[in-house]
Amino acid sequence: MNLEKVIFGFFIVLALTLNFSFFLGEIGNLKHHNVFELFMVIVVNLIATILKLGDRSQIGAVLLATSLVADLQLIMAATYWTFAEHITGTGVTSEVIAGIVSLSGGALLANIISAVILVSETLMSRL
Amino acid sequence: MPRPVDLTRVTFIIMREMRRPIMALLVVYSFSILGMTLIPGSINEHGVENEKMSIFHAFYFMTYTATTTGFGEIPYAFSDAQRFWAIICLYTSVVIWVYAIGAIVRLLQNPFFVRALEEWKFSRSVNRIASDYFILCGFGDTGSVLARGLNEYRTPCVIIDENEERIKALHLRNYNVPMPGLYADASVPKHLLEAGVTRSNCKAIIAITNNEEVNLKISTTARVLNPNIEIITMSKLEDVEDTLANLGGEVHVVDPFKTFAQVLAATMHNAGFYALNRWLIQNKKGTIGSYIKPPLGKWVICGYGRMGSEVARVLTKYGVDTTIIDPDARHVNEHENYIVGRPTSKTLDEAKINEAVGIVASTSDDGHNLGILLNARHSNPNLFTITRQNHHYNEVTFAATKTNIIMQPTLVTAQKILFLLIAPLLKSFFAYLLENKVGRAREMERVIETLKNTIGDKTPYLTSLHFTHEKSKAVIQWLNRGETVFLGDLLRNPDNRNRALEVVVFVIKSGDQTIVLPDHNYRIKEDDEVLFCSTKLGEHLFHAIVNNEYKLHYTQNGTFLPRSWAAKTLANFMKKRASKQKTN
Repeated sequence: MNLEKVIFGFFIVLALTLNFSFFLGEIGNLKHHNVFELFMVIVVNLIATILKLGDRSQIGAVLLATSLVADLQLIMAATYWTFAEHITGTGVTSEVIAGIVSLSGGALLANIISAVILVSETLMSRL
Repeated sequence: MPRPVDLTRVTFIIMREMRRPIMALLVVYSFSILGMTLIPGSINEHGVENEKMSIFHAFYFMTYTATTTGFGEIPYAFSDAQRFWAIICLYTSVVIWVYAIGAIVRLLQNPFFVRALEEWKFSRSVNRIASDYFILCGFGDTGSVLARGLNEYRTPCVIIDENEERIKALHLRNYNVPMPGLYADASVPKHLLEAGVTRSNCKAIIAITNNEEVNLKISTTARVLNPNIEIITMSKLEDVEDTLANLGGEVHVVDPFKTFAQVLAATMHNAGFYALNRWLIQNKKGTIGSYIKPPLGKWVICGYGRMGSEVARVLTKYGVDTTIIDPDARHVNEHENYIVGRPTSKTLDEAKINEAVGIVASTSDDGHNLGILLNARHSNPNLFTITRQNHHYNEVTFAATKTNIIMQPTLVTAQKILFLLIAPLLKSFFAYLLENKVGRAREMERVIETLKNTIGDKTPYLTSLHFTHEKSKAVIQWLNRGETVFLGDLLRNPDNRNRALEVVVFVIKSGDQTIVLPDHNYRIKEDDEVLFCSTKLGEHLFHAIVNNEYKLHYTQNGTFLPRSWAAKTLANFMKKRASKQKTN
């Protein structure tokens, strides 16, 4: 067992699970989606990205790419939220929250791919 | 095929080293932001608690707090609990920033990282060179003269030297073509790969470091990595030369003293040669048409080293009686008049300097050479003088002595290499002129006269041109249409074809045949190689003619080819009408 591998796997899976729990719920309903959850998803995703930096293998490159996609989508969602809440002054209406959740849904897909790659690589090295 | 240098290495080093500081920053930031948003706000004047900070406001607060900007408490005045948390946030985040910046600075100062960065930049600028280029290993006196010469001919060059100071000096030079430099041991294959030894447009490698072994290693490594590359190197040892000669491919070993001996022999043979040679290498002091003839008679040679022995050999061959003065007694049996001792006024008198016609000061010490020169002239002011100048910085002193022939080994080497690279056909041209046949001396005088009339006081440029599609598009198109191109028509001025270009063609190499001083009626064939001497303007115009079909059409026919669609249509119409009128 390798501590680095544990931490690595932990953050990738945590990014996926948090992302999923934020995504879960009625798409246009603000009550089903917590702002702190989105915050945590972003933080954990960024941590996962940093952990993937500097890996020179082909798999490492693909993992980094999926993480960057997820970061991009989540930061877009957070920026959208901030704009609606503080800058345009419309408040987080059901249309806005629907947009934010669908963006996080895209990030969820990227996180799933990342987790699949992680699992399959682990299985391959076990063989 | 060896793998090219991994250019992504530097990026990976940065990424790996930055992982920890960035992670620390991220954790501290998110922890602080989260705390800020959870702490209850202060009580306002209506006695109501202000709402908690939003994530956006908390992030804004952290942004200016962590960087110690401090814009104050927003959006409302803080509660004491928030202030307490703000103190913790500020101290931790500032410490983390200091740590992160420290990590970056440490990375930038790490000598291995700096080295990797240098190599990365170097091989990136090498890969950007699109034209043919050379690799120069060793940037000493010879190397810098050579680089200047190549710059004059607009040929890029990649330079590797073991001395960091030399490469720093190189970076300050003002070259018109890319001359990337790396301070590294050129005999390490990795550095040769970074210098692009395997690239197809790398035509030659020049190994002229001070170390014989290093030169040999560079040559062999280059030959193994690239079987087509031309190798030029310097060597003083016979067995090394043998090894080099058997490397296969094109290998040239340059020995400045042998080269000088050849020039001296040619000058003994033909008085115009020394001046012509000096003029061609763009020596400002060399004026074409001045004839130097070393006199026949008794000569004194001071210093029987590499230069002295070569000069003695040449002079003896031309029937000159020579006396050697050298402190080294080992070679005493090689020559009949050999005086053992330092060349002083006493030994010079012993060698009967007052009866001599010439003196050669060829020791490896510039001070001694000057001393010999002055002593010898004191006893006999009419001597013909040949001196060896070992160091470039003594140039002023040597120029002031008004010596007939000054031999600078570094300069001779650099010029020889430059000729090999720029004008490889020059060798056959000189061989032809110096051949021991009737009328050749007259021919040389004619060449000198022509050069004097065409180029005169302007700076001469030697240019080799290969008649291929890339180098001379228009001529090849013309030939493919089955038309003939006369050499003479390429030498007409594209502004007025009755005026000649300032170009003198020396040699044309066509297949295995070498035609020296070709006739104006020579018909150009594809794949011919031509060597000509011209002014800068002449070279430009020549290139314009062989590449531009309109200019070529004009110099060949004296008429202008219509360029635009309308002009072409009109020309066709006129032609048709003219032929119709004829038939009527």
